[in-house]
Amino acid sequence: MAFLEVENLVKEFTVTKKKEGLKGAVSSLFHPEKYKVRAVDNISFNIEQGEIVGFIGPNGAGKSTAVKMMTGILHPTMGSVKINGISPHKNRKAVVGKLGVVFGQRTQLYWDLRLGETFELLKRIYKIDDKMYKDNIKMLDEVLNITEIIDTPVRQLSLGQRMRGDLAAAMLHSPTMLFLDEPTIGLDIEAKHSIRNFIKQINERCGTTVILTTHDLGDVEELCKRLIVINHGKIVEDGPLNSIIERMAPYRYLVVELASPHHNLFHPAAEVVKTETLRVWFKFDKSRIAATELISDLSKTYPIRDVSVKEPDIEDMIMEIYKKPVIF
Amino acid sequence: MLENVKYYISVALYYFKLSLQKQFEYPAMIISCVFMIPMMYGTGILLLYFMVHNFQPLGGWSFPQLAFLFGIGYLSHGLMMVFSVQNWWIESYVLRGEFDRMLLRPLSVFFQFTVTYINFIGLVDVLVGLTIFLYSCKLINFVWSLHNIITIAFVIIGGVLIRSSIFTIFCSVAFWTKRSESLFLLLNDMLERTTQYPMTIYPYFVQFMLTFIVPIAFISFYPACEILGKDGRIVFPLEMSVYTPIIGIVMFILANMFFNLGLKKYESAGS
Ligand SMILES: Nc1ncnc2c1ncn2[C@@H]1O[C@H](COP(=O)(O)OP(=O)(O)O)[C@@H](O)[C@H]1O
Ligand SMILES: [Mg+2]
Repeated sequence: MAFLEVENLVKEFTVTKKKEGLKGAVSSLFHPEKYKVRAVDNISFNIEQGEIVGFIGPNGAGKSTAVKMMTGILHPTMGSVKINGISPHKNRKAVVGKLGVVFGQRTQLYWDLRLGETFELLKRIYKIDDKMYKDNIKMLDEVLNITEIIDTPVRQLSLGQRMRGDLAAAMLHSPTMLFLDEPTIGLDIEAKHSIRNFIKQINERCGTTVILTTHDLGDVEELCKRLIVINHGKIVEDGPLNSIIERMAPYRYLVVELASPHHNLFHPAAEVVKTETLRVWFKFDKSRIAATELISDLSKTYPIRDVSVKEPDIEDMIMEIYKKPVIF
Repeated sequence: MLENVKYYISVALYYFKLSLQKQFEYPAMIISCVFMIPMMYGTGILLLYFMVHNFQPLGGWSFPQLAFLFGIGYLSHGLMMVFSVQNWWIESYVLRGEFDRMLLRPLSVFFQFTVTYINFIGLVDVLVGLTIFLYSCKLINFVWSLHNIITIAFVIIGGVLIRSSIFTIFCSVAFWTKRSESLFLLLNDMLERTTQYPMTIYPYFVQFMLTFIVPIAFISFYPACEILGKDGRIVFPLEMSVYTPIIGIVMFILANMFFNLGLKKYESAGS
């Protein structure tokens, strides 16, 4: 039995279409035009204890909806979720006491009060005893410098500091599993760095399982051994980062530096994707043609001074996902 | 069991503390507090003055009796304003996805929602109600016996429960429809109109509805009938004031059930 089991999970939202104008408003009042949006479309996967899994995909892909179902906020239209064998939908209280959840776009902190006040409330809600509270604050101070901001009213914190506060609040009761929905959104490099460091540290020190949704490829590259790529509510890829890049973007770039300007470079097995005066980028499928072959072909016809081969990165992979047509 | 009660109380008290602290964070709040106490008495006295001059005996009720009815009703209204005004905002909680965080905590969502806010300004209404109530007690020569004090206390607590449960139930409709504001406005108006005057001025069927369908008549009318020895038109076994706290508790349980039913329909909010 895996730690988190997600099976054939589906979520449909019923949306009422808004019509324009007064006539539209009246007609929607009497004949509301409703349609269904499948935000999450039959996803299944397992996650083992101690993993850090990145959930990526474009805006509106269904990441947040999936997180809300896994954490028991939303009831699935179909399918099931089990955390440690228990369903958060059938037995919410038993499950959520062991979860930490942060939504980057919202906060659970009391906006007008010092950060520590929210911590004190959580201490009571989660029945955290004094010793555990002290130990956790000490740990959170080491990884997030939390005592530096604990007495500041939340509204006076910068976005990065507020996020540190939210992460700390989510960790106070030592959850076994942490869900982070876009925790680095809108942050500067330094803040991002400290949050990535935090995720790494708590995963190593406390063995916390982490599910992370993000747009930030840096987050994924630095943190996640495993990636789940979701688009239009479906899982398109699930596996180690490298092999996904390999599969989604099975090509290389050959960057050719010319000795003198030359137009209309051509090769039947490669595609020119970008040109500068003395530089040309070829994109080629490495299963169709080997780099050495391409280089030798090109150097026969063109005045080449230098070449380099570039691996596709995660950004290229994301581009591939965005390009995929929608199939209904 | 005792441990559990202690736990819930400690959480509730901390929620209360934070929501008060939050309201005191704003200077406007402190200023209004400085002015509030004299203002509260001012309003109460003005209201009374207004009532003395405008209230004619109504449906066989004299002015002191009407003031007594009004006082009981207004006291429970004031306490409802302090402790459960957030029921009015269920619609916006639903639309803005504010139940997300409560669902993530290992506590009943209804409990969290009930204790999540305490409205300091609501005290104005409590003091207005208290002033009118005490004044009317004097006019009707209310006897401050232990029995009467306990009766009044239970009636008021029951009234608060009935009021807030009615709001919970009607505003929870937003879980299904995403809208409950018009229902709320209607209800608020109805509560105001029907708890201030004796039911006997309304047609019998209205009183019947407000007794058996939406038990508003138990908030102030029936207990006042009993204490003042007035005819309440509908006759029940036992003393009338016994029903108010019992119906209050039943309504509170129903409200909890209805709220939880609605919560199953809760869909958070897209971002
Ligand atoms: N509460 C909701 N009600 C209606 N539609 C929603 C709701 N939440 C999300 N959606 C829709 O579901 C789809 C997926 O949204 P979401 O899960 O927020 O995507 P992501 O987090 O990947 O950006 C979107 O089309 C969004 O508009
Ligand atoms: Mg999202």
